[in-house]
Amino acid sequence: MESLFLDFGAAQMRKRGYELSNTLSPNLDTVRLRAVWNSCDADDVKSVVRRYIQNSTSGPEKLVQEEVQGWTEVFAAYWKAVGELLAIQDPPSTNGLSTRSSWTRVYDTWKEMLSALIRGYNTYGFEAWTIPCLYVAGKYLRVFAIKADAERNSGNSHENGGAANFQDDFNPESEQNEKLEDCARQLNRVFNLCLSDRAPLDESRKWGIYHVINLLFKTYFKLNSASLSKNILKALSAGRGDMPDLSVFPASQQVTFKYYEGVLYFLEENYVEAEKHLTEAWGLCHKDAMRNKELILTYLIPCHLLTTHTLPTQRLLERYPRLQKFFLPLAKCIKRGELHAFDLALQEGEDEFVKRRIYLTLERGRDIALRNLLRKVFIAGGFEEPKEPGGPRVRRTRIPIAEFAAAISLGSQETLDNDEVECLLANMIYKVSQVLHTIASPTRRHSWRVPLRNLELPNLMKGYIARERGILVLSKNGAFPGTGV
Amino acid sequence: MVPTWSPAPSSDAQSIPVPRFSSPYYSSSSSPSVDNNSAPDAHEAGAGPSGFGQPSHPPAYTPVHVRQSFGAETYPPTPLYAIPLHYPQPSTNTFVAPAPNTTSAGSDQAKKKIDWPESVRSYVQRSFLPAHLDESVTRQEMEAKLKETISQANVSGVMYTINWETMPLPQAIVREERARARLVQQPPPPPVMSSESSTDVSLRAAHPTLTTTTKKRKSSDLSDAPLAASWRAGGQGRLEDRITFAADKRQSSVDDSPPKTSKYQKQQQKQMEKRQKRFNGGYQSTYRSPSPPPNNGPVVGTCQTLEKRYLRLTAPPVASVVRPEHILRQTLELLKKKWKAEQNYSYVCDQFKSLRQDLTVQRIKNEFTVQVYEIHARIALEKGDLGEYNQCQTQLKALYQLGLKGKAIEFKAYRILYFIHTANRTALNGALADLTTAEKEEAPIKHALNVRSALALGNYHRFFRLYDETPNMGAYLMDMFVGRERLAALCNICRAYKPDVPLRFITEELYFESDSHAAQFIMDYSGKDLLQDRDSTIYVLTGKAGPLFEGHRATAFARVDIKGQI
Repeated sequence: MESLFLDFGAAQMRKRGYELSNTLSPNLDTVRLRAVWNSCDADDVKSVVRRYIQNSTSGPEKLVQEEVQGWTEVFAAYWKAVGELLAIQDPPSTNGLSTRSSWTRVYDTWKEMLSALIRGYNTYGFEAWTIPCLYVAGKYLRVFAIKADAERNSGNSHENGGAANFQDDFNPESEQNEKLEDCARQLNRVFNLCLSDRAPLDESRKWGIYHVINLLFKTYFKLNSASLSKNILKALSAGRGDMPDLSVFPASQQVTFKYYEGVLYFLEENYVEAEKHLTEAWGLCHKDAMRNKELILTYLIPCHLLTTHTLPTQRLLERYPRLQKFFLPLAKCIKRGELHAFDLALQEGEDEFVKRRIYLTLERGRDIALRNLLRKVFIAGGFEEPKEPGGPRVRRTRIPIAEFAAAISLGSQETLDNDEVECLLANMIYKVSQVLHTIASPTRRHSWRVPLRNLELPNLMKGYIARERGILVLSKNGAFPGTGV
Repeated sequence: MVPTWSPAPSSDAQSIPVPRFSSPYYSSSSSPSVDNNSAPDAHEAGAGPSGFGQPSHPPAYTPVHVRQSFGAETYPPTPLYAIPLHYPQPSTNTFVAPAPNTTSAGSDQAKKKIDWPESVRSYVQRSFLPAHLDESVTRQEMEAKLKETISQANVSGVMYTINWETMPLPQAIVREERARARLVQQPPPPPVMSSESSTDVSLRAAHPTLTTTTKKRKSSDLSDAPLAASWRAGGQGRLEDRITFAADKRQSSVDDSPPKTSKYQKQQQKQMEKRQKRFNGGYQSTYRSPSPPPNNGPVVGTCQTLEKRYLRLTAPPVASVVRPEHILRQTLELLKKKWKAEQNYSYVCDQFKSLRQDLTVQRIKNEFTVQVYEIHARIALEKGDLGEYNQCQTQLKALYQLGLKGKAIEFKAYRILYFIHTANRTALNGALADLTTAEKEEAPIKHALNVRSALALGNYHRFFRLYDETPNMGAYLMDMFVGRERLAALCNICRAYKPDVPLRFITEELYFESDSHAAQFIMDYSGKDLLQDRDSTIYVLTGKAGPLFEGHRATAFARVDIKGQI
């Protein structure tokens, strides 16, 4: 206990937020935690802690009485949480029963500590430089919530925490993630605590905002309700006026924030915006943060596939074996226009793709594969007889539907009738790019009306079908935009 | 002496009228004695709340008060009725109901009179039969419970349908609730946590004769009558007797405490309130009452009526208006019959909702539950009530996950189609993640997956072939988005085909019933000029359509009515 408050005092005197937050970490070695726990008991914890805190600082930096009170409550709550934590880490000698619901208890006691901290800012005038304490509290609150939920779900207890249920139906999701949902609410309190601080910027809790947002995003994604993140973004942009620019926050917070922002756009099928944010995250990411880079690429590569029809190179993926497994087979099939192989590859990775929510996006790569196949047909068609000898050679642009039908049937290893082939061709002509439709259509709540011409996204194929004659008439110049023919 | 009628405490003000009834043991025509009426006041002021008993008087009973009649000209102020009781301990159980429902005369006159059915009256009478009286349940509690039961029945519209004959008596309900509270080790809220507002307190100070409301249970409400008789006197079912035992034991411990405590507690409570007021800077005149002690165990219903109107719960469910599973099974059969015969969706939907609610509050999760949700989902689908349908499917998903048997394949397929309709990609991804490899091979699911991939790749040709062969009730779902997909396909065709296509081609590709349907569809979207009759064949001038359908398409896709509630 004594060394804890020596650190505490030192951090307070020098106003070092992160050092201070270390004194609230539950992630210390058991010996130290036990020392903290053993140094007092439930009856005298407050007086002991108060004494330590009062004596920890001196001189002009001495804590005022209010703050002493606030920190006393925080550390008393911390002490209690440590007790619960130790009860889990050290299997009790008597019986296993007492540890049964301990993660829930750890969560609850830790939550009390977070509440004490929040109270500290609201009532006891904690200064803004101490916000790393909130980071630590929030970070472990999430960890404990996940553990508590897992623990409860693994046991066969079906009781719900006593909350009166007035709902007409069960809410299975929230029963499963009870603590994590509660955790999201707590983090939201912290978010508002940071957002609503009106103090001048250099002593504002606003500096804590992105860290908290990232924690919240993480929690929302885990809860499978990523859409809630949008509320955060909305609140953030509403208060953007007096918010420091993202670029002056620590790079780590920027990368995480950009990544989540990008993924959120990705999930909305706004691939253009997604690509923008993910690229920024990619650029800022530490070169050795392989896992983060892998995460970014997981979404950035499908973005590229749809926006610019580009595929990842072998070299890019060299250092990411998992991504190689994901994308290389697909990329190969797309490049060669192998429809059937593409279907198989997609099916092969389906579970993984679905898990990462990229399946529906990758599926659209089939369009590119088809385009490449049709392009082959076009090239195989060769050239028209030049009208005059020595004149410029012109490719054959009137191609019987039957030729495409043969190619597609061969490629997809299933027999398609001509109407369906026409349908696929019509699609190639129609699809400027699916991305554009998404952008231009008001379907999405957050529609991004980017002017079409600014994007200059290529058509997949230029031409028209003359049904009566059963031919596809392709454009003489640039039938397959962006591919050189 | 004029009795003190005080304004009703807040909790009473919003309650609804309760029928007037009379015990067969007194004559309601007997003229009220004003002197008697002041009896509770005297006790409240003098001997303290526990001193209701008047050994010198025979046991006295008041009827449960009749709201609409209070203060009205037709009825005199509630009198005290003295009824001889054949009880072994006549001296101790003199209950003087302190006019629990006292309401200001003015407000009551406004209340409309309700004609209470005979069955309700006899139920109330039955409750007060001496043979059924239970000393562990005070009169006030009984009255409150009666009022609650009856008003609940009235509000939920089952007043006339409920079988009052088999309805458990209020004392039984009270005992059962106590027993449950005891079982889950939930002590009653400490007296300091009163829900009374400070205005109430000041009122009481001004009118020392005013007694407490019946809604709250105070320690003073507990009679100090001997216990022995209490749980036998009721003569209810065996199980209840056994359950009650626990409650009685607890009561004995409370009863052991000297009667003075209640007064002391009241004082303390006032002090607490004062302190609370100070703390709030006097701004808040009321503070939040603690929610009633949460009932950890699910309710076990006792209601015997088959039908019940749906009412959203705002308070913990009451056993007397919740139907147990065997009744619910009968209800389901009844609803199935009624649906077949009458096709009255608003009625059936309402009934299904109350059915689901009863299942939920009792935490019944079994194959019967699955069946209920499946049937409701199908009916909702048929009627295009997507809101209800979605609620059902969400539940079904969870129920199937519990391993309960049902038509999981059928409903998983619907689920996919539903998410296609609502264009909810995240949910669609989730639905895909839920499927096992084996399930993906099941015909309905395979169909739904094919629909999804056909649409994702813009393959309208395949989409409309699949539309033709939708299994089960999936077509109801597909109907909802087939229109917008036709528009999308039309956009596609207009862009790709030049100069024209025969109308028949559109009819076949987009799976219209006939050429005229197809033509009508095109004309509905202001495409009349695109139709051209040439050599007795109708052509669609696709080359001239331009972006005609694009706008319609965009609107069609934008207007995905996710809630779809009727």
